[in-house]
Amino acid sequence: MLKQLTRSALEHLLQQTAADYRLQVPQRLADGTRQLAPYGSGELSLFGETPQRKPTSAFFPQTEPLLKIDSTGAVQLPAAAEKPLALFGLDAHDLHGIAFIDRFFSAAPADDVYLRQRTNALLIGLTGAAGPDQSFLPLSAGNCDIELIASNDHWLAVAYSETGEQLLEPFPDGDNDRLRALREETSSYRAIRPDSLQKASELLLHDRVPDDFWEAIAARCILCSGCNLACPTCTCFCLQDRQRADGTERSRVWDSCQLDAFMREASGHNPLGSEALRTRRRIHHKLAADPQRWGELGCVACGRCDRACPTGIGIFAVAEEIVKRYEKG
Amino acid sequence: MNATLTTCPYCGTGCNFYLQSDVNGRLSGVEPAGKHPTSRGQLCIKGWNAHAFVDHPDRLTAPQLRRNGQLQITDWNSALDLLHDKLSGIAAQYGPDSLMFLSSAKVSNEENYLLMKLARAGYGTNNIDHCARLCHSSTVTGLVETLGSGAMTNSLSCFDETGLIFVIGSNTTEQHPLIGSRILNAVQRGARLIVADSRKIRLARHADLHLRQQNGSDVALLNGMMRQILQDGQEDTEFISQRTENFAALRQGVEKFTPEYVAQITGLPPEQIVSAARLFAQARRAMIVYAMGITQHSHGVDNVRAISNLALLTGNLGRPGTGVNPLRGQNNVQGACDMGALPDVYTGYQRVADPAARQKFSTAWGVQLPETPGLMATHAIEAAAAGQVRGMLILGENPMLSEANQGLVRKALERLDFLAVIDIFPTETTDLAELILPAACYAEKDGTFTSTERRVQRGRKALESPGAARPDWQILCALLQRCGLPAEYADPAEIMTETATLTPSYGGISYPRLEGMGLQWPCPDAEHPGTPILHREQFTRGKGRFSPVDYRPSAELPDADYPFLLNTGRTYFHWHTGSMTRRSHLLDREERQAFVEIHPADAKKHRIKERQQVKISSRRGTIAAAAQLTDRVPAGQVFIPFHFAEGAANALTNNALDPESGIPEFKVCAVRIEPC
Repeated sequence: MLKQLTRSALEHLLQQTAADYRLQVPQRLADGTRQLAPYGSGELSLFGETPQRKPTSAFFPQTEPLLKIDSTGAVQLPAAAEKPLALFGLDAHDLHGIAFIDRFFSAAPADDVYLRQRTNALLIGLTGAAGPDQSFLPLSAGNCDIELIASNDHWLAVAYSETGEQLLEPFPDGDNDRLRALREETSSYRAIRPDSLQKASELLLHDRVPDDFWEAIAARCILCSGCNLACPTCTCFCLQDRQRADGTERSRVWDSCQLDAFMREASGHNPLGSEALRTRRRIHHKLAADPQRWGELGCVACGRCDRACPTGIGIFAVAEEIVKRYEKG
Repeated sequence: MNATLTTCPYCGTGCNFYLQSDVNGRLSGVEPAGKHPTSRGQLCIKGWNAHAFVDHPDRLTAPQLRRNGQLQITDWNSALDLLHDKLSGIAAQYGPDSLMFLSSAKVSNEENYLLMKLARAGYGTNNIDHCARLCHSSTVTGLVETLGSGAMTNSLSCFDETGLIFVIGSNTTEQHPLIGSRILNAVQRGARLIVADSRKIRLARHADLHLRQQNGSDVALLNGMMRQILQDGQEDTEFISQRTENFAALRQGVEKFTPEYVAQITGLPPEQIVSAARLFAQARRAMIVYAMGITQHSHGVDNVRAISNLALLTGNLGRPGTGVNPLRGQNNVQGACDMGALPDVYTGYQRVADPAARQKFSTAWGVQLPETPGLMATHAIEAAAAGQVRGMLILGENPMLSEANQGLVRKALERLDFLAVIDIFPTETTDLAELILPAACYAEKDGTFTSTERRVQRGRKALESPGAARPDWQILCALLQRCGLPAEYADPAEIMTETATLTPSYGGISYPRLEGMGLQWPCPDAEHPGTPILHREQFTRGKGRFSPVDYRPSAELPDADYPFLLNTGRTYFHWHTGSMTRRSHLLDREERQAFVEIHPADAKKHRIKERQQVKISSRRGTIAAAAQLTDRVPAGQVFIPFHFAEGAANALTNNALDPESGIPEFKVCAVRIEPC
């Protein structure tokens, strides 16, 4: 289904969506940060850089209550939300990231905590002329319910699910030729991932990156864990138990493989006992282990870790360095 | 999912982030502010976990009164009445100066202002101080004398345009991580780096030169560098003649510090001192960065003077990419000083001994004010131990773990007739209090904090405080009213308005103007854009003053009975006395217990193995901690972080104080180590 929305029709779609969903939309926050925030809590930001906080955090938050055990030993699960989530403003990278962790958390044994948030949630992509200064963002792979494609002063709206079709039903049909042209523009656009990631992946898979490279990169790491916490495909968490007057509350908390205690054993032994090993793991996991397990890179090229890293050793930077140093040798 | 922009509660870097709250209003995470000039979308591990302690079950949620050794819950009115009755009763019987007020570098500017007003106008004493006494009091004293202003001269953006960074006594990547990262980035783009630190800190791995001078020998090292610069004719003669005074005395003062003489004191090879001097002097723009390794000595003020001398000698002041850059520790330790939570000054460093300043505050507050400067925190502990200070109100500090010589602190606090503590968690200090008042934490109130680069920024309320806990400013207003002083502030913004009228450097600061990036003081009027770099045209005091210093050894050095030098400090994952970070899951998991860093050669000699519990003793106390064998420390030195109550480093440290700043010698004392 292809529809066409004017600015006011877009607003109408969002209002409709907000009636049945907890709708999050991109907004420009106080310091200029662009982030998904509750619809109606601030001014909608229809184009700009990728929202700062990874959208996967809506389904897999940094700290998330899992259950409570009261004094009788009875287990209570957190109350279900009244409405499912709807995320608007996702570009192709972010939709890819959500699809990536959907697959991870859905794989047996399925993560019911994740699925509680994710099932029935609505994803609305925002592509086309929706980048900074209305620059072009490549179209999605259709891994959403609705994709809005900014084009001149209106939006083409493609439905990819039944729910999406229902929501778009009232709007007039869109121009198929225009959609075709935008899809062609997407295919001629640079690959969604920079070449260096694929090349670095191959070098890693062929064991062409020596240990001293990781020593040098790790020496610059200040252990902030931002690369992991900003990454939409990072799914590691640890458990936190807190004893309260009315029982014990168990939550999960985002973890980071860059921390010494991530794999430290009770004996003190640590299979990832050096910064170099941990830094190697971070890159290796995304560019070598994930391709072997899932058949694709674990990096969706959103750029968040490179932005979050205070010392310039995010995955793009490291991949480029790997390619520069080891491609020919 | 709501997002509230606020200022990080940990170090003085001044990062901003968004606190994320879920549909139930509980904090669910942290996201760095993407466009903020300091955070730039980045945080350190503590920042990323700054939400974690807020809803910890240990939070204090009701006023508590200790009766017959048992804590009983009481209501706010009774608690505040009791607090006021006790403080005013002690003041009436023994004089106002038998009271001591400890403010906090963790609370807002507005709250520091109110507590300083309460002590001075409410109870009639200048006995107010806070933990700056333990960190940068040496800086305030030393830099006011030489430059006229005791704050970081330059801005964090200067790291992006400097040619050389000289880091002395600052483990920047661990203690100010987002400043440490700027230093690492500067090195990546080609800036030179000199690190002077006895420990092999991360920055040392990237340094052109790593000087591992003996702890406490900094004056000798700096004087040696200056003598060499003069020998080489590398001093900035134009700058010296136009902008400084007392140069002849400096030249004379450093004359005896030949490389060979300095080598004897510092343990460095003489040629390293020459190399350091030449590398430093050749830079067109050089920044000196320092922290506790410089200030926490019985000659801390002399260390600061020597640093100031080096910057003056080479003309590295008043320009981008230069400066004397003390890195302030707590997120509002700069602000607590600016607000006059110090015994000798009102806000903006206006001296209580100055009759005009006293008259100004007296008129504004409508009461007579005490003339004599009050007690420093460290002296107040001594006075309490001697029975001269009898009542104490502590706001958000934990001196039982943070002050030197815990045995003395315990004796002092136990001897008090009355101790009240306002805090967010139970601490080793609330354990000794008769009255404990529960406070809102940073995420539960509005206010302003001033970062190390003098940037005044907003903190914003993201959620309600637990139980009956109240924001400190409301608690302090209730006490001011009990003292008969008007305190009808509707919100912290009104307190800032009052502060600004009394404080020239904050004169142009108001809440509306702080939206966005905040303002760097001095900001004297409503149109002033703030001041990123101090001393541009002239120094705050007019001319920069050379203040030559001689080397004085530390008060207690290793000997046959106590053969190791004990160095103390902090680690990356914990914050000070651990009350917040040990209640933050990931941070606690990373470092769960007290440890002592010991060089492998020393460990071998004493038959100590990795992770073995060892007993560490000084002349003041004994603790146990797990051995961590590492060449981060030089042989002969051990390092213990002071975060851990169960292995409290400050049970060992020496309360030998700098005669001018009153700072204890946290970085040098003598200990021995035995297997447990």
